[in-house]
Amino acid sequence: MGDLFSNLGLGFSTVFQFVQWAPPFLGGLSIPIPINILLCLIGALVGTLVGVLPGIGTIATVAMLLPITFGLPPVGALIMLAGIYYGAQYGGSTTSILVNIPGEAGSVVTALDGFQMAKQGRAGPALAIAAIGSFFAGCVATVLIAVLGAPLTKLALAFGPAEYFSLMVLGLIFAVVLAKGSVLKAIAMIVFGLLLSMVGSDIETGASRMSFNIPELADGLGFATVAMGLFGFAEIIRNLDAGGEEDRDLVQQKVTGLMPTKKDLKDSAPAILRGTVLGSILGILPGGGAVIASFAAYTLEKKLSKHPQRFGRGAIEGVAAPESANNAAAQTSFIPLLTLGIPPNAVMALMVGAMTIHGIVPGPQVMQKQPELVWGMIASMWIGNLMLLVINLPLVGIWVRLLRVPYRLMFPSIVVFCSIGIYSVNNAPMDVVLAGVFGLLGYWLIKHDFEPAPLLLGMVLGPLMEENLRRALLISRGDATVFFTRPLSASLMAISAFLLVLALLPALRKKRDEVFVESES
Amino acid sequence: MSDAPSHAPEKSILPSWVKGPQDFIGGIALMAIAAFALWASSDLQGMHGFSFGAGTAPRMFGILLLALGAAVTVVGVLTEGPRLAVYAWRGPLFVSLAILCFALCIRPMGMVFSAMASFLIAALGTAETQWKETIIVGACLTAFCALLFPYALGLPLQMWPTFLIR
Repeated sequence: MGDLFSNLGLGFSTVFQFVQWAPPFLGGLSIPIPINILLCLIGALVGTLVGVLPGIGTIATVAMLLPITFGLPPVGALIMLAGIYYGAQYGGSTTSILVNIPGEAGSVVTALDGFQMAKQGRAGPALAIAAIGSFFAGCVATVLIAVLGAPLTKLALAFGPAEYFSLMVLGLIFAVVLAKGSVLKAIAMIVFGLLLSMVGSDIETGASRMSFNIPELADGLGFATVAMGLFGFAEIIRNLDAGGEEDRDLVQQKVTGLMPTKKDLKDSAPAILRGTVLGSILGILPGGGAVIASFAAYTLEKKLSKHPQRFGRGAIEGVAAPESANNAAAQTSFIPLLTLGIPPNAVMALMVGAMTIHGIVPGPQVMQKQPELVWGMIASMWIGNLMLLVINLPLVGIWVRLLRVPYRLMFPSIVVFCSIGIYSVNNAPMDVVLAGVFGLLGYWLIKHDFEPAPLLLGMVLGPLMEENLRRALLISRGDATVFFTRPLSASLMAISAFLLVLALLPALRKKRDEVFVESES
Repeated sequence: MSDAPSHAPEKSILPSWVKGPQDFIGGIALMAIAAFALWASSDLQGMHGFSFGAGTAPRMFGILLLALGAAVTVVGVLTEGPRLAVYAWRGPLFVSLAILCFALCIRPMGMVFSAMASFLIAALGTAETQWKETIIVGACLTAFCALLFPYALGLPLQMWPTFLIR
């Protein structure tokens, strides 16, 4: 327990760090500024700003804003990225409540009741409950991360290469099982991502693989490049042929009366609580994440409610539960990343990309060698949630106005902004072209109902998997049964196999589709 | 994109025994990608003794993708699925051109020119573009980026064409 407090203390002292800033125009006078809090605030603001733009999901927002954090010191950059992530998520729920265009899959269910509430002139309470629920969930999740962080790290240090490999397999299988759509196609996308990660030079032998003597490919496909192409450019192109304008029936009334009534609070309190618990659990699972959490929370509320027919007609629980679950899962999904070094979903995969760019290899070692980084990030999560609550409620008016920006002006801006961002990573024009190619690939994938998120996950895990597979086989002198004879590895593999079989069974598949079906009805 | 087009059924170029054209074509494309990767990594060293060569893992994943692609294709043949989605040409074409233009111009022409040019090209991607506002917004965005990236973020970017600086 004492450990926990000293760790959190370290985290908060990192977040509240002051830096002496002596701008030349003040003539030698230096002012102390709380740099990390400022970065967290800017991240949350910018994240919301971009996340609010309809049709731009969380992953796209984080990918797009990745380059603006490259110039910062590692701790600041990660704190800012985390802020961007929450901001984007909150922005996504704002759009789904006000315009009925969920910016991201996670807020699809929020749109069901949120938009109905907005139509009844109760957009204010809906937004407020979403913010309050998210804040509460964020607080709980932050404590959970702090409590689970240290013991899980100890466990991770006992892992050998065989266990790591099995754990990654389990993570990928979870990602498939908990994702929407065809299991087979999701697995195919993961393997496609693994294959893409092989491009570039081999770590051990230095041999150049599939790089066709293109110097820009010698170091492998840039992570930021692929992510921006697959999520940024592809989404723009997709939105264009959907005809950006037609389905934007924005709530025209002014958003007034933010405060929810006493009855609203009473109705939503248990929903927030249940959503938080469910979200926290689903977030920790590898492959879990915000999307499944919000769907599951909504389904649960509907099942438990005495008046299920109210759902879909503006029930406040239908906003409170998925939003809390969403945010709880978003935060607890940091646990596998920070303790085991394994990203459980695409956004966390982007975080790994950002860490690698700053020279940090995520994993249990980080928590021991750079505790201020990990705990600073955890503490900043709580601060970030508080900021969202403080910033967003008063700024709702601005977000509403942003929603009125026509798509015809928005998309060229995003194209230009992304291009500059990608170029600035390595000052390489070839990267911009590659991102364009991945944009077209992403468009094609969407058209064929392939999900790009597992691809990204596979791409990040590829090198890690190869390395651990190699090591495990080298240690066991070529004996592939090592994955099934070491007890820990064997149990991980058994769970993976079990899950995969379950997912392929028709009975369970129906249940799984049922959870996701809400969005269509 | 599962929303099937509501207009009259178009004549499919695929044979009638293909029940799910979307998966059929998707699976074949994945197989093609896997075959290409296998070919591209065929010159790499394979296993020697217990240790992996540079080519082992790419080949492993390539074969796996080939098998999965085949499975998706089979699913496409056997089960009823959505038809091929209709591709738009205008959006993808002009967005790609804008990206390409940016990549080609950024070194010789600097950021201000490249950003403006690719903004205007991208704007061609939709029929809704109104040129007056597009030019104003493009100029504002260019100015914003010219301030944001080099000054606020400290990323060294060349602003103006090389021949003007010299």
